[in-house]
Amino acid sequence: MNTIHNIESPKEKQNRHKAMEAIKLLNTLREDFKAPISSMEYFYDLFERVHCKHESLHDDKTKIGTMCIQIPSEIIYALDGVPIRLCNGFYTDDEIGSDFMPQKACPLIKATVGHFASGNFTDKPDIVFSPTTCDQKTKAGTTIESFGYKFIDVDFPRTKESEASREYWRRSVKQFAVELSKFQGKKLTKNNLRDAIKKIGYAQLLYHKLSEFRKNEIVPILGMDVFLVTNAFFFDKIDNWIEATEKLISELEIRAKEKITVTGKASPRIIYTGSPPIFPNYKIPQIIEESDGIIVADETCSSNRMFNDMVAVDEWNIYDMMDSISDKYLKACTCPIFTKNEDRIRRVVQLAREYKADGVIYQAFAGCTVYEMEQRSVLEAMEKEGIPILYLESDYSPSQGGQLSTRVEAFIESLKTRRRNKK
Amino acid sequence: MKSRIKNFINNGDLRRVRFWIQLITFVLFVYGGYLAINFGSSFPIFTCPYNDKTAATCYVIALQHQLAMPTKVLFSAAFISILIGLVTFIAWFMILNKAWCGYMCPFGTLQDWITALRKKIGIRFSIYTQKQFDQLSKIKYLFLIIVLLFPLLIGAGVLSNNWSAAFCQMCPARVISPMFVGDFSQWSIDFSSKTNMILTALGISFAALFFIGAFVKKRFFCFFCPMSALHYIFADTSIIRFRKDGSKCTRCGDCYAVCDMQIKDIADDVISTNILRDDCILCLKCVAACPEDDALHFDILNIKAFSSTREGFEKRMNIGSYTKNYEANK
Repeated sequence: MNTIHNIESPKEKQNRHKAMEAIKLLNTLREDFKAPISSMEYFYDLFERVHCKHESLHDDKTKIGTMCIQIPSEIIYALDGVPIRLCNGFYTDDEIGSDFMPQKACPLIKATVGHFASGNFTDKPDIVFSPTTCDQKTKAGTTIESFGYKFIDVDFPRTKESEASREYWRRSVKQFAVELSKFQGKKLTKNNLRDAIKKIGYAQLLYHKLSEFRKNEIVPILGMDVFLVTNAFFFDKIDNWIEATEKLISELEIRAKEKITVTGKASPRIIYTGSPPIFPNYKIPQIIEESDGIIVADETCSSNRMFNDMVAVDEWNIYDMMDSISDKYLKACTCPIFTKNEDRIRRVVQLAREYKADGVIYQAFAGCTVYEMEQRSVLEAMEKEGIPILYLESDYSPSQGGQLSTRVEAFIESLKTRRRNKK
Repeated sequence: MKSRIKNFINNGDLRRVRFWIQLITFVLFVYGGYLAINFGSSFPIFTCPYNDKTAATCYVIALQHQLAMPTKVLFSAAFISILIGLVTFIAWFMILNKAWCGYMCPFGTLQDWITALRKKIGIRFSIYTQKQFDQLSKIKYLFLIIVLLFPLLIGAGVLSNNWSAAFCQMCPARVISPMFVGDFSQWSIDFSSKTNMILTALGISFAALFFIGAFVKKRFFCFFCPMSALHYIFADTSIIRFRKDGSKCTRCGDCYAVCDMQIKDIADDVISTNILRDDCILCLKCVAACPEDDALHFDILNIKAFSSTREGFEKRMNIGSYTKNYEANK
């Protein structure tokens, strides 16, 4: 008798765990909510292919890893690379990363570092550009570099009010373009940059169209589904993404006409802000939408902030385009790493008005100091505006569900009562 | 119906509309004299009477002559004539506010054409650094002081008559405007006195500088224009308002990127509702480049006549063209 005993390698174990995390969420999205959208299947399938079947998408292209949204994808596409945003949402990777980072570090960064430490990528980045945004990401760079990656810091200022910071960042972006151009052996030209701007612009336009449906009284799409769509933009082939999103929009048009909704009768409308939900860590969005809330808009760097601001130029000169791109990634950015946060507060208030929200849910990852610190001022501002807000701290661990869902449910109930009393 | 007109305007191609308005008004104001058109002598733009076919007279020259009357006369009955001039000027100005600069002024239009030429050649425009901007933007007030104070000093007998219309002697529009009707005689230095010699020599140099400046810098002269400064003083009298809703602004800077005058407040100031600044020429390019609905708007009698919209932005930036290319390549 011959019995073959296979011992699972760490890599296999990691893959198995991540696949479990991914498929659990995808199945929830596919099955647990009412009136599923059939064109969302592309996105479910995409995540399944990448995270469960480990298919790589960009074999033939140079993959340019980015650590934050501030690295302009326009320039990467213009130089014939594929931007892969490496911010990570897997608990499995979070645990691996814990060996390299302080215990109280942010789970997103731990997971990202863990991912690099394992070296287990479906699309391994050929070079990584990291804007020096928050302390943890900035410092994680050297750790990641020590694993043997080509890792380049891109200087990012922490104040955005001054003219000096504008000039500083414009120079940084130019420097980034020069380095990438060298790496790619390709020249940045007027034409390829303009085409890339238009391509990204079109993707942004689609995002805005998608968002329009969420302003409707009858909301035809779940917030979680939208997070999935925007998260897919991290790594998907852009042309496929565009096509799939176009299809999604046409389906939503029909649903809007037929008044098909994914919500309950009186589901409170929620604005989501704070630490970014990154696949498969949709813990808080899932709790919200399972507790009869509906996320109608968000202010996060994994979704809204990637698409919100579109580039305009007066003349299509290369430097003109570069400057306009640079300004968008600095001045319009509402990341909490900046000294002041009036812009972020204004954005949240404006979203609440535009999307007729009943309340705001502010989530910070335990360890994401900047979001934790901004919580006070945002809460104060919302109180002044008369917008109810709930502040939550969470991490990637699968165990905290109960306590969080109690708080979210109570908040959503209070929003319902508030709405009834108004009537 | 109302919303359809609104959409039509907000989605319009501002560049083209502006090009045609500027072309028509340029011809009208520069060559109007041939048709005996005369809008009087209190016109709020550089319609220079040194061009004898002009259809109106720039208020700066009229004002200088009026103020140069002997002081005694000035503060008697003649004061009324000055007042009438001023009231006429304000009346003209009120209708369009600073849009006179962006749409009507032939001297501004000329600069836009020089810009178009540079664009065709493919040379990039230059910009001022913040420090240069802050310092240079004071010059227009200096010129305004020359316009207002020097004539008074002549009237008081402090300055000689050679200083008459001192600003005009320096003004590049005096040298350049007559060229359009074939008169190149202003390209000369007046040697009748030392004062005239210096002033007209400055005028010639400013005119030469104008061509070089306008080629490398968008709306080069407008930055120094005393008329622009004068406009700004009366901006609040106008029926036209240029407003911003800061709560809708994301500070993305698209407006700033397209601004010919490098006005930073347009992007950075999210508190003021009145966003008209002294350098503004109300060309409305910023409104056309703003992707946020109603964040910037141009109001006539408090009615939004032209507002920024996302749809208009997409049309003007031609973003949809990507799909067409994409479909074609498939």
